[in-house]
Amino acid sequence: MTQPNQGKANRGEDFDIVVVGGGLVGTALAWGLGQTGQKVAVLDEGDVAVRPSRGNFALVWLQGKGLGMPEYAGWTKAATDSWGGFAETLREQTGVDIAYRRPGGFMPALSDKDLEDRANAMMRLHNQPDMVRYPYEVMDRAALLKEMPFIGPEVVGGTYCPLDGHCNSLRLLRALHSGMERNGVAYRPNHRVERIDPKDDGFRLTTAGGEIRAGKVVLAAGHDSARLAPMVGLEAPVRPQRGHVIVTEKTAPFLRHPTGYVRQTDEGGVMIGDSFEEAGFDTTLQPGVSSAIAARAIRFFPLLAKLNVVRSWAALRVLSPDGFPIYEQSTIMPGAFVVTCHSGVTLASNHALVLAPLIAAGGLTDAFTVFSARRFHVPQAA
Amino acid sequence: MSAADFDLAVIGSGPAGLAAAALAASRGLSTVLLDEQPEAGGQIYRAITDTPVRDRRVLGPDYWRGAELLGPLRDSGAVHWPGSTVWSVARPRDEDAAAAAGTSERTLQIGLSRDGAASMLTVRHVLMATGALERPFPIPGWTLPGVLGAGAAQILLKTSGLAPSGRVALAGTGPLLWLLAWQYLRAGVALDVILDTTPRANWRAALPLLPGFLRSPYLGKGAKLLLDVRRKVKVVDNVTALRAVGEGQLAAVVYRRGDEEERSLAADTLLLHHGVVPNLNLANATGCAQQWDEGQRCWRPTTDDWGATSVEGVSLAGDGAGIGGAVAAEQAGRIAALDILRRLGRIDRAERDAAAIPHREGLERALRGRAFLDTLYRPSAAFRVPADDTIVCRCEEITAGAVREAVRLGCSGPNQAKSFLRCGMGPCQGRLCGPTVTEVIAAERGVSPAEVGYYRLRPPVKPITLAELAALPKTEADVNAVQKH
Repeated sequence: MTQPNQGKANRGEDFDIVVVGGGLVGTALAWGLGQTGQKVAVLDEGDVAVRPSRGNFALVWLQGKGLGMPEYAGWTKAATDSWGGFAETLREQTGVDIAYRRPGGFMPALSDKDLEDRANAMMRLHNQPDMVRYPYEVMDRAALLKEMPFIGPEVVGGTYCPLDGHCNSLRLLRALHSGMERNGVAYRPNHRVERIDPKDDGFRLTTAGGEIRAGKVVLAAGHDSARLAPMVGLEAPVRPQRGHVIVTEKTAPFLRHPTGYVRQTDEGGVMIGDSFEEAGFDTTLQPGVSSAIAARAIRFFPLLAKLNVVRSWAALRVLSPDGFPIYEQSTIMPGAFVVTCHSGVTLASNHALVLAPLIAAGGLTDAFTVFSARRFHVPQAA
Repeated sequence: MSAADFDLAVIGSGPAGLAAAALAASRGLSTVLLDEQPEAGGQIYRAITDTPVRDRRVLGPDYWRGAELLGPLRDSGAVHWPGSTVWSVARPRDEDAAAAAGTSERTLQIGLSRDGAASMLTVRHVLMATGALERPFPIPGWTLPGVLGAGAAQILLKTSGLAPSGRVALAGTGPLLWLLAWQYLRAGVALDVILDTTPRANWRAALPLLPGFLRSPYLGKGAKLLLDVRRKVKVVDNVTALRAVGEGQLAAVVYRRGDEEERSLAADTLLLHHGVVPNLNLANATGCAQQWDEGQRCWRPTTDDWGATSVEGVSLAGDGAGIGGAVAAEQAGRIAALDILRRLGRIDRAERDAAAIPHREGLERALRGRAFLDTLYRPSAAFRVPADDTIVCRCEEITAGAVREAVRLGCSGPNQAKSFLRCGMGPCQGRLCGPTVTEVIAAERGVSPAEVGYYRLRPPVKPITLAELAALPKTEADVNAVQKH
């Protein structure tokens, strides 16, 4: 009865490419790598682990991203543009509907000052040299009411980007797992990686589930990449940032557009975020923080007040020092890569369709140099 | 000057909670007893003060014993807040607690909902006396109207004097099933049949434990009750398969005796029961370590001899810490209360130990024969681990087959399965599917449930409205956390 995918003790296995990490980043990469026909495995931890991919807000989002790194805005725009096709491919392959919708997203504002700050931030973002162009609007309350009739009296307006959307991220995870299986990718839970050593032309990974050998290794282990990257001549200086999320009971559809704080899921529940705390790896819920995001959500949409909260949780964003992704190939061990970001949903299409083929073919192109962790070692004189 | 509203909060007013609150308050701890229901009593003594079933012979002496616990509670000075739903227990951030108190005293915060308003209660110690839940009994058709748990039916009898009419079938195993049948007969309710699912093999396994049972207080009462029921109701033994059928409403119960042909019985009500398991949701969401109990085939929070959990300041007593029954729960409540008195500096270790002696003797007496009952009434695998097309998660309508498919894709435990399937994400917070999902995954993987684990739960463990949540007090740190930096 024991299933082959449950990773019982083995004598060691060989793969062309091993992806460390079974979250959205790791499975999107592995799905894409599997499409190339190489022999791929995903090594994951067990049933209980630090899993930001299970706690995210499920936005496929462009608006506001990239201030300080215009290349990131371009990369994100490409991801949102290819997301629809990616979701369709997964649906055709696995039958799982990820419920991707792209009705455009709003950042509503509760004061004139707030709205002005948002408008200015969008302008500064778009004034950057080499910034990708995309449409957005600053809307007043009357314009907002046409799109979102249930906003509260305090909402003065908001910014809108027609390219923003959202999905069902748990179904994305399930579709990727199902698709990986169809692509011949081996999934190995309970294989926490202890050590990575160079071996012959590749790597030997010592894991809780036995030894694994691979020609290439891709670190997509989220927070754990900070520990693993130095083993292959890379670095991933990421830290956890705690965010609270609340989910209400299912209710009749009232909100077609996702917003940065509140969105109604395809199943009818309402997700409410978000908060930002530096609290290490502590995922204890703070009732006061839940209360603060609940109070703000009711100011945006007063009809939420009467809904029951059915679940809440705190998840840990994987943040680099500047908040942007790290994509890097090891110079001393060129078969090793690190991939880390805190937008595993939005960037899933890029990871699967762009990054995975490059890794399978041998290496990252110059376009990725800007995402190297070397940017955190800016010379003092510069 | 203490920052706490109370020294001790006891959560749950069944036998463990009633006894513990009375003892703690009578010895000087400021104590609040919190419970969801409008009256004290828990499930076992539900509606003990105002049940419409006034004929004492119907519910029986074991029920009316609960009334004796109310006087000591009243006299103890404990504050009783019925109608209070606890949805969270957590330790506040150290800096917030210190700022509020001006001391470094360790406190816990209880998230509470009363009369539609949420509030936070600060206490020095929490005793959870959260009792038991019926073990889910997932058979084909168990979601049909007309099918319900025997425990739920018993609550209706206690609170409203309501009993099912028409053709009534009881099915399952365990003392509560027989007790309910006995109570119904006393109340003049006609029962059509009892389908006994106790596996034949259990008798062989239980036999070595019989000596303990022979010295138990259950023996005389239990034997008489069984005989009474068997004299008056048709009992089908050795039932090995069961399903409820009907179009939008129960019409018939189909069962198999041993390996005979299936038979069908017309029925309007089917009451299912195969034992109870600890109600561990609050302890789990508070972060208390828990363990698999192979004897009782359930998860229970890990406690020491005094009911202390792995979380500082949180103790547990009664069936919520492992099934022992009402009398054992009462004694365990007093033992836990004595240890809390010591932890809060009211008595020393020697005094605690001496005061606990009679309660430990009482506990030991009450637990005699428990191993025999656990073994005899252990439900068979066929009823704990259902076939593919049976629904296991009622909230999200997830079948056992879908759980097995998730295992095949690599889910090694219920938390991964939850991400894949949403099972356990509904309003019941896994109460109705958790034990089953763990067992299905364990059977599919060929490992013990101990290795598979259980859901990690999060507050709120009971639904509260967003408005209630939004009205809670917030510290500066809380408010800052939602301002984007």
